[in-house]
Amino acid sequence: MGTERIVNKRRKFFQTSAALLGGTLLYSIIKPFEAIAQTEEEPTIDDKNLPLWGMGVDIESCIGCGKCAEACKIENKVPEEPFYFRTWVEQYTVKNDGEVKIESPNGGIGGLKQSVPDEDIFKSFMVPKLCNHCTKAPCVQACPVGATFISPDGVVLVDETYCIGCSYCIQACPYGARFMNPVTKVADKCTFCYHRITKGLEPACVEVCPTNARVFGDLRDKKGDLVKFLQDNPTQVLKPHLNTHSRVFYNGLSSEVK
Amino acid sequence: MPKIIFRLFLSFVVFVSIFILIQRYLTPNSFGEYGHYRASAIDDNMLSVPFYKGEEECASCHQEVYDLKSADIHSGIRCESCHMPKIAASKDCKINPPKVEGSLNFCGQCHAINAGRLKKGVPTLNFKDHKGDQNCIECHNAHAPWELKE
Repeated sequence: MGTERIVNKRRKFFQTSAALLGGTLLYSIIKPFEAIAQTEEEPTIDDKNLPLWGMGVDIESCIGCGKCAEACKIENKVPEEPFYFRTWVEQYTVKNDGEVKIESPNGGIGGLKQSVPDEDIFKSFMVPKLCNHCTKAPCVQACPVGATFISPDGVVLVDETYCIGCSYCIQACPYGARFMNPVTKVADKCTFCYHRITKGLEPACVEVCPTNARVFGDLRDKKGDLVKFLQDNPTQVLKPHLNTHSRVFYNGLSSEVK
Repeated sequence: MPKIIFRLFLSFVVFVSIFILIQRYLTPNSFGEYGHYRASAIDDNMLSVPFYKGEEECASCHQEVYDLKSADIHSGIRCESCHMPKIAASKDCKINPPKVEGSLNFCGQCHAINAGRLKKGVPTLNFKDHKGDQNCIECHNAHAPWELKE
């Protein structure tokens, strides 16, 4: 009668839902294994066929004109306010009494101006700074959602649509190379001008540098400009004790540089 | 199996399945393809249009000026170091020409006296002692600085 029909209906409903759930579960168990099997063939930073981008910075050539910082802002549409920089130039002035003065008014845009009188200066030099594109990047480890990552060709990038704007990466970066973009409301940083280098162009800062203080290239290209720069000069990375294995190499780095 | 254990087991399975379903639905398609990130974010980063065109693009119209610059001391400096582009590369630079004032402040970005700029192959000078407030380009040709104007 009526009750029997309802029981049958209920039984059928339970059977179908159990089958559906079982199927989903089985599918979900199998699927991750497929993904793992695929990952092994996909390009990683160790892939010898891909370029491994890096930059050399020659402190002995940098004159602190700030063209790089200006060009970077134009090329990457970084807000003009003097707090947001993907790259900037610092002037270090070591005074005769040993005190070190570090300054970077407006990131060096418009040219750095000497602020300490000549007679007090022991030495002075310019240090261009940017994201160091670490091989073991603290920012990538800190990101809780996987919105920042190292691309297979060795550039630390931000996924703007996936970033939740928690700023953990900004705190994690030992070089202060990241900032919160007030327009997009997500973390922003130097990408080595990824849209340019993948088209065969140089990053904007390298393009405009009047003294060729910046050398950009592929670390795997043994005849390339960057490898030659590394061979010709005794280079160092910033904060080597942090073991970040960064790929921005400085020539003529003094111990005062932080 | 007692009924209560079976029900417990069943509800566990149901919750786990629902969790996995939701997770699958919320995870972007290419996530995890190369690593713990969205693989298509690499393509997103390639999207923007370069502003800086490079010297060849400039020389295609301004060959004379380019040759003049290449022959003199400013040869290592690329056009767009001074002529910062104001418009995207896809547009014509006639719409919004990247003009340079050639003022003391502008040339001073490289040539003003600064202790950090010594011995780097770039001549620096005190503009006040040199010619007062006169603009550099009144005498110097910016593309060939040692060709003085009369």
